[in-house]
This record gives sequence, C-alpha cells and structure tokens, in this order.
Amino acid sequence: MSDLSGRLPDVAALVAELNAAGYLTDQPLGVALFLAARMGQPILLEGEPGVGKTEAAKALATVLDTPLIRLQCYEGLTAAEALYEWNYPRQLLAIRLAESRGETLRDADLFSADYLLARPLLAALDHPGPRPAVLLIDEVDRGDDEFEAFLFELLAESAVTIPELGTRRAAVPPVVVLTSNRTRDLHDALKRRCLYHWIEYPDTERVAAIIRRRVPAAAEPLAGQVARGVARLRDLDLAKPPGVAEAISWARALVVLGADRLDEAVAAQTAGVVLKYSEDLQVLRAAGFAAAAGDD
Amino acid sequence: MTERTNGDRVPADLALIAARLGAELRDAGVPADPGRCERFARAVPLARPATQYELYLCALATFASGPEQTETVRRVFSDLFGGVDGRAPGQSGPEAPDLPGPPPRPAPDDLLAEAARAAQEHPAPPAPGTDGAGDAESLGAGSPGDALGDAADAAEPDADQAETARPALASRVERLAVTDFAELTPAELQDLAGLMRELTLAVPLRRSRREHPSARGRRTDLRSTLRHARRTGGHPLRLARRAPTLRPRQLIVLCDISGSMEPYARAMLQLLYCAAGGAEAEVFTFATRLTRLTGALAHMPPEQALRRAGQAAPDWLGGTRIGASLKEFNDTVGRPGLARGAVIVIISDGWDTGEPAVLRREMQRLSRVAHRIIWVNPRTKSEQYRPLAGGMAAAWPYCDAVLSAHSVDALHELTAALARPGRHRPWSRDGARGHPAFPAAAGASVRQPGRDEPAGHVSRQAGVARIHGEDRGAGAQVDPGQVGPDQ
Repeated sequence: MSDLSGRLPDVAALVAELNAAGYLTDQPLGVALFLAARMGQPILLEGEPGVGKTEAAKALATVLDTPLIRLQCYEGLTAAEALYEWNYPRQLLAIRLAESRGETLRDADLFSADYLLARPLLAALDHPGPRPAVLLIDEVDRGDDEFEAFLFELLAESAVTIPELGTRRAAVPPVVVLTSNRTRDLHDALKRRCLYHWIEYPDTERVAAIIRRRVPAAAEPLAGQVARGVARLRDLDLAKPPGVAEAISWARALVVLGADRLDEAVAAQTAGVVLKYSEDLQVLRAAGFAAAAGDD
Repeated sequence: MTERTNGDRVPADLALIAARLGAELRDAGVPADPGRCERFARAVPLARPATQYELYLCALATFASGPEQTETVRRVFSDLFGGVDGRAPGQSGPEAPDLPGPPPRPAPDDLLAEAARAAQEHPAPPAPGTDGAGDAESLGAGSPGDALGDAADAAEPDADQAETARPALASRVERLAVTDFAELTPAELQDLAGLMRELTLAVPLRRSRREHPSARGRRTDLRSTLRHARRTGGHPLRLARRAPTLRPRQLIVLCDISGSMEPYARAMLQLLYCAAGGAEAEVFTFATRLTRLTGALAHMPPEQALRRAGQAAPDWLGGTRIGASLKEFNDTVGRPGLARGAVIVIISDGWDTGEPAVLRREMQRLSRVAHRIIWVNPRTKSEQYRPLAGGMAAAWPYCDAVLSAHSVDALHELTAALARPGRHRPWSRDGARGHPAFPAAAGASVRQPGRDEPAGHVSRQAGVARIHGEDRGAGAQVDPGQVGPDQ
C-alpha cells in the first residue's frame, strides 16, 4: 500500500496507465480499481461474460508492475489447492534419511517452509514486495459456500492460519480482485468485505478502440465494422449476446482469413466465432447475415 | 433530503456526510452498514473527487453490491447532494425504472404475510425426528411442541388435549387436506401448515467435488495419513481415505403468480416455508416478467421476508407470459449455471398469452441443462383435462412429470416426484422433439391424485401418459423412504 501513492497518485493516472497497458477503461471502473489498490480493499467485479473482468485484473498487475497470481474457482476447491499443501513425499524422504543416518527429527524440522508448497493464496500473501501482488480470484461464483467462508480471513485480514505454522500475515497485502458471473448470489458477508463494481458493456466507439488496441492488424474499416456488427448482434434477441471478448476474437478471425472488410459473405462464414449457440445462429440466419455485417 | 451542498465543495465533516448517506441508503434498501460508511469516508480523501460525479463514483464503489443497487445509490446520492453530475442532470428523478417501490396492488403483501403467519403459528416440533413424523399417526395429530405460545391454539391442540379434540380436528383437517387450494380461505390454508411441515422436499443427490474423510473412499488422504504416521514413528500404518461428498441437487421453483394461479402460488410459498428442505430452494415468480424471490426469502423471519417478496414481485395477479419469463430465467441465471443439474418445479396452468413456440424453445433449452423438470398444473386434476392450451401442449414433451398438487393430499405426489432419481423424457431425446405426438392421442392424461388408485389406472395410451405411467407404475404410493403423513 505504502508504495502505491507514488505510482498511482490519482484516478486519472491509473486510467491513463491502464490505457497504456492495453486496457481501455472508463472512469467508473478507474475509480473502483484505484480505490481497491489504494485502500487495500478487495474489489468484486461483476458483469456479463466477456466484458473484461479478468482482463481488468491483468491490466492492473501490468500497471503496478507486479505478478498476477490467479486462482480459478470451482466447486470443491479446498485449502490444499488454494492455500498450501505440505510436500508429503519430501517429508517421508526426510524421515527415512534421518533414520538411516541415525539422526533425530523433530516436528518443527518437517513442518518448516522447506516442505511447504505455496498455492496461489499463500503465494500472494508471501509476495515480498515492494509493491503488492495482484491476486485474481476468478469466477468466485463457481466455488461453493465453504470456499467463500474460507476466503473471509484472507480478505479481511490479509492473513491465513496454518495449523502447523500459526498465522501468516502478509508483509505487503495483495490487491485482491474477485470476479463473478452472477450464476449464484454470493454471500452477503463476502460482499460486505469488498468494494464493488459492475462493468457495463462499453459503447461501440470504445469497443472499436479496444479492437484496434488488441488486434493491431485489423485495418481501419474492420475494427469499426466489427464493433458495429457486434452491437447490432446484441440488439437481436439472442440467448448469449456476444461480448467484448467475442468482438476481439471476431476481428482476429477476420485478420487471419485476410478479409479487409466485414461483408455479408464473410459474416456468414465466421458467425460461429461470435455466436456459440445453434439457436442464436438460427436467429441470425432468420435476420439475414447482413444484419451482422458492418455496412457503412 | 433537504440538505444540499453545491458544486464541488465537499463539506468539512466527511464522517457525518458518510453516515448520513449511509442512513439514507439504508432507508432505500441498500445494505449500507457502518463498515461501508467508513470505507466511503476513507475513499474520498484518496480519490480526491474533483466533481460531484467523481464523488458519486466513490459512493458507488463503496456502497453498492449489485447492479440492481446502482440506480438506488444514484437516486439517493442526487437527493442528498443535489445531482450526480453535470452530464446527465435529468437522470436523478423518480422516473428511474428499477426502484423498489410500493407494489401496484396490496394483495401480495397480505397473501405473503398470511403464508408467513401460517408458518409461524404452526412451528416445527422442537426435536424433529423424535416425534415420529411418519409413524402413521392420524392426520393433524399435531406436533407435541406447539403448546408454547399463543399461536398454536385454534387449529392444533397440544398433545395433552389431543385425546378429546383429535377426532373432530382430524376430520376437519382431513377434509381440508383434500380440498383444492383454490377453495380454501386463507385461514384454512394456514391451518394446513402443520400438515405441510410433515412433508419433506427431498431431491436426488449428486456427487459434489468436495471430499470428506471416509473409510471406504478411493483417494488417499496424504495429509491425514502423515499426521497419523507421526504417532507411529513416521510409519504410515493406516491409510486415511477421502470420498466425494453427496449433496442434494439444487431445487428451483418457478411460480406462476398470475390471477388464476394465485391460490396455488400462495400454497406453494407456504409449503416452501413449512416443509423440510424448502428453505434451500431457489424461488422465482413470474407473470409478465421474472422475479427472484430467494434473496427475500432467506435469512430473515418469514413474515418480513414475505412482505419483501411481495414488493419484489410487482406483477402479482397480472397476465402470464410463461415463455418470455422462462427465456429470462434461461438467459440470466438458468443456463449460466443455476439450472445445471437442478430439479426444476414449474407451477403454472400453462395458459400462456405469448407464442407457444417461444415456450417450446425455452423448455427445450431448459431441459438440456436441468436434471428433471416437474410441471405442477392444478388443472390436470380433472379427468377431462387435455393439454390443448397452446402453452401446456408446447411444454409437455419436455417435462419429466406433470402433476396437479392442487391440495395437501396431492402434495405427496410432488414430494415423490421430487425424490425420484433419473430422467423420464421419452420424446425429448429422439426425433419427435419438433412435433410431439399428442395431444390428440392424449386421451388419458388424467391426473387422479387420490392415493387409492389401482395400479391399472396408469395403463395409459402411449405418449403423454407415459410420463406418469412409467415411473408411477406401482400406483401412486409415496416412496418408502419418504417421511410424510401417508397412511
């Protein structure tokens, strides 16, 4: 925290740095990320899939020039996978070795840092600094209640308790970014510990700018056409409206195909890049592929 | 609301402002606890907002915890500070769309409050399981524990008085138990809460990815093994094992609250309150649009929760657009994760004012992710019922079971259908998906919910009736494992 006031003097600086890092953002998200970094408070990012929640954490790590430590959540995630595990084979070997040498081993010898395997959460706490690591706890809604409860100590205290070693407190508390797709409601106690930001789908201009930034090979008409095409697709009655991620991969696909404009024929060939459900493809087919093409 | 501060100037006492804003937000329904107020007060000096809008963004990041709260924060903020920004001055008015406001009709409050009262006045026995809920006591023999308090009086005498009161009461409750929910007065419905308490909404289990120590597990638990090995000089003599935990599947209840379905919706909410296992259900209501009730139902006294639920369901007693509501469910929460592997109960008469094609498509989508779909349609209690209504006909092929559950007696069918494992969807797999071969042939889609049906009753024509025919072949008995007042 201490070191960040120099690197992140104000919101505008953070937004500018994020832009320079390739993540074009608006002011609301800038304020939220700024506060998360400067207050040392975890932030919960929500938004529809593909709107750039994970990318925000990556960009923040780039701006801070610190490692991004990522934990993908899933049901049944346990302390052994998220926090730490003892290196049992090594412990067993050490016991045998001590036996054969006639040495005596004490508990403290076996349960020391040498035999500790740090999983993402512990690695983030142990990050030596000087700037805090960015800890991305991705899709926390995929985890289960037990895991949420397990996170509380980490989020509130920047500390975890390991029975054999005691409480480990972070020297430099990480900047914690949680993301959620809202497939289930997170526990209020978890939300209470976090700042919150809902990432809106950006407007067409910004989508075009993002495509230009992320797919530099997309020649000028293409980025704008793809952005407008995705915007028009989002107006259709789709089960899964394409997001920014789909827009980027569409532009990438067009570049790979060597198309320099998005016309009806190209849209028909590449619709599968943006629409992943057969129902949605049918809707588009009914509306005509021209609907997706960026007619100017 | 009267205090206004102009322009960029942030008044000196930030703590006071933060507390004031927090209080206003709490009044508006945003959970702005002191921790969040403090956070806001810490955020402002850090972000040094130069404009009203930036101050608003600070409030948004620190106070809101869901997209639905954004508008409320915006409204409260501009009420307090006289606007959010220079860019959209008109935005702060009361025309904001998703504000929690008074429901258009008072009815839901009353109905829900009544259901809550019923749940409270017929409290669960203090030690469930010890009083033999399933021991073939006569209906309504009551829970011994409810002598406490004044609430347990009229409908259910406590165990001491039961000797004399029981016959009369039992017959009354028995009569009520077979009465259609639509014909019950609210007070009578409340009397049935005791019976509903004896039901268990058990859903099939699924294998969770979480593990627990188990002697017969497949995976070796190295951590535990090594811990034990320390006692035996480092020799792992005993292998500790772990096995996956079994968890109940998610139960999702989608409740039609349009006019004709209102008595059944009320009964179903009461059931969810009373029956064991009902509290874990995710509850949605729909008529013209979908409303999630779960947040309102969980973690607070039933009375209060149901009042909030009434506010949360503004389209109570409106028209019905089942297909559109299901689509909303599929798009927003169902397909992304909630409905995957879940047991889904849809309570509706199937009278859809929308296009049947929409409902068919959405049922198809839902059936691809859900474990089972049970459609509760009170109209199927009638012998004459045919699924001819566009909506019901469209939805039928994708249901694993269709039943009436129109009275307390018939609820046993529901609990049995919930507990039944596996899927029974003969047509949704093969080619008939596009054109279900009924309802013309559905001559015997009769639901006679009495439990004394002969087994032959299920000998129906091929097609629709097999929904029940296959899995209810032995008659309409409740599963043996099922705890209930079945006789």
